[in-house]
Amino acid sequence: MKTRSDVWSLLSRNLSKGQLIGYAVANVVGLTVVLIGVLFFCDSRNDTSGEDEFFSTDYVVLSKKVEGVGFTPVSFSEQEIDDLSEQPWVRKTGRFTASQFAVNGSLSMGGKGLSSYMFLEAVPDEFFDVKPRGWSFSPSEGFVPIILCKDYLTLYNFGFAIPQGLPQLSEQVIGAVPITLRLTGKAGQPETFKAGIVGFSSRLNTIAVPQSFMDWANERYGDGTEPPASRLIVEVDPLAASDMKAYLTEHGIEMAGDKQDAGRLSSFLGIVSAVVASGGIVICALAIFILILSVFLLLQKSRDKLRFLMLLGYRPREVARYYELLVTVANVVVTLVSLSLALLSRGLWSEALENIGLGGASLLPTLLLTLVYLLGVTLLDVGIVRSRVMRIWRGN
Amino acid sequence: MTGIKVMEEISLRGLLPCVFRGMEETERIRQSEVWLSGELRLTRGCRVCIQAESGGGKSSLLSFIYGNRTDYLGQILFDAEESRRLSVEDWCELRTRHLALLPQELRLFPELSVMQNLQLKNRLTDYKTEEEMLSLLERLGIREKARERVGLLSVGQQQRVAIVRAVCQPFDFLLLDEPVSHLDQTNNLIAASIVEEEATRQGAGIVTTSVGNPLRIDNAVVIQL
Repeated sequence: MKTRSDVWSLLSRNLSKGQLIGYAVANVVGLTVVLIGVLFFCDSRNDTSGEDEFFSTDYVVLSKKVEGVGFTPVSFSEQEIDDLSEQPWVRKTGRFTASQFAVNGSLSMGGKGLSSYMFLEAVPDEFFDVKPRGWSFSPSEGFVPIILCKDYLTLYNFGFAIPQGLPQLSEQVIGAVPITLRLTGKAGQPETFKAGIVGFSSRLNTIAVPQSFMDWANERYGDGTEPPASRLIVEVDPLAASDMKAYLTEHGIEMAGDKQDAGRLSSFLGIVSAVVASGGIVICALAIFILILSVFLLLQKSRDKLRFLMLLGYRPREVARYYELLVTVANVVVTLVSLSLALLSRGLWSEALENIGLGGASLLPTLLLTLVYLLGVTLLDVGIVRSRVMRIWRGN
Repeated sequence: MTGIKVMEEISLRGLLPCVFRGMEETERIRQSEVWLSGELRLTRGCRVCIQAESGGGKSSLLSFIYGNRTDYLGQILFDAEESRRLSVEDWCELRTRHLALLPQELRLFPELSVMQNLQLKNRLTDYKTEEEMLSLLERLGIREKARERVGLLSVGQQQRVAIVRAVCQPFDFLLLDEPVSHLDQTNNLIAASIVEEEATRQGAGIVTTSVGNPLRIDNAVVIQL
């Protein structure tokens, strides 16, 4: 073991502590800034106030503004939808399908019955981040799953139930209550279906049913005409969302939901963290450059020693290993220090973000990025060390 | 090549350093028994002394054989295997177990002690014990320098360290490039007896070069470069 360290003590004499520290400091600064950017980005994108289990904050529901009293239904034309789809902040658009038949829903609970005319809408399945359990319909089973807007339940519980002497219901309870839907078309007898509420959404302000049910029912009970696109669901690119508001105002489009402010704030903070992170990337790139230069210089200074060692019979792999170990240790230390610094600085903003309903995002993306960075940079360094040592072996 | 037990023969075929290109017809090359000599065979167990003038290319010759230079025309074969075809791994194996070289410029590490320098070579095969190395240093009169930094030693002393290092490994051929240029006659004889003993014990060949102060080994075949 003692003799093994002879090789190291020989090679380490050419190490420049200054260069190594310079690299470490520069890289710690760069990587810390990148990690702070990423952490902050994740936190600012993590909207805890209006959590919606099915739809992320990237979705907005758009409808046209109704002016005065409109007897012709206000809807989007094909041209308007195409134009909208081409906007830079739009990732994906989908249309709500409204029911073209009369719906009567009734439920009975503890001997009391409740019945009301209502409406149903469907959203394309691809817009669900998480599909509720049993979110499908087949005519043979005859069960219709429903997602209800959270606001409707609030409206019922606090605006309707108390003055009418009806019980207030929790989400769990109303989910367990069987509902009967009676559908009546333009012609023909009404038919009844069993239904149930399978989930609540704060972003969809409607009573939503599966697209498969709506298509089937519109064909069976509707008048056969293509339903107008009265409302659209749009997946928004949060980093380009600054143009969105102007566009919507200009075209008389309204955005549903009261989460816009949080969404806008979230996208603003997203941009800020992207800027911070890009600054960090530049610093990191420079730091990596410094390390590569230092490794070049170190190997150049140790050129004769390495050559002599290899002429004694040492394998290139063997002498390269000392440098590989060196860069690996340097990178691990730099990464750990940067990660700790970034996590410490998270304390600076976490409380402030919590107060506006953001923050507390998972650390996983940051940790993954750190790991990928560590592996990437170390592999790059090791590759450079190996190729330089082989050049020295070949004698040039 | 890897995995060979013993190297029986080194043969040089039509060898010529690239720098001598165009001088094929000169007197110097014509008289040489090495350059462009058809085939020159060095067999295991041989005792060869290559004599040359300064600048005749003897160090180049040993570097060609040892594989750290390839700027030559012709072929060098180790047991019929062309040396240019050897892999990095093959060369490392050769230098660890089959070929030992004492270069003219010694290639010691001045910042390390005498013993550390010896250990750097020895640890590749753990060929000699520390006691054995110390006794070799003692025979050459530098045992008390064992812990001293090589950089502080005189050139003659360094040359003796390099001689000991050259035999700290198993070998089939020992290549010595002017091994005693800085040694007096007494030390020349001691060095000669050390390398003779080591080579004989291993059944190995000795190829040494000289410009006027040859290593005093018995019955060496003298070849004019």
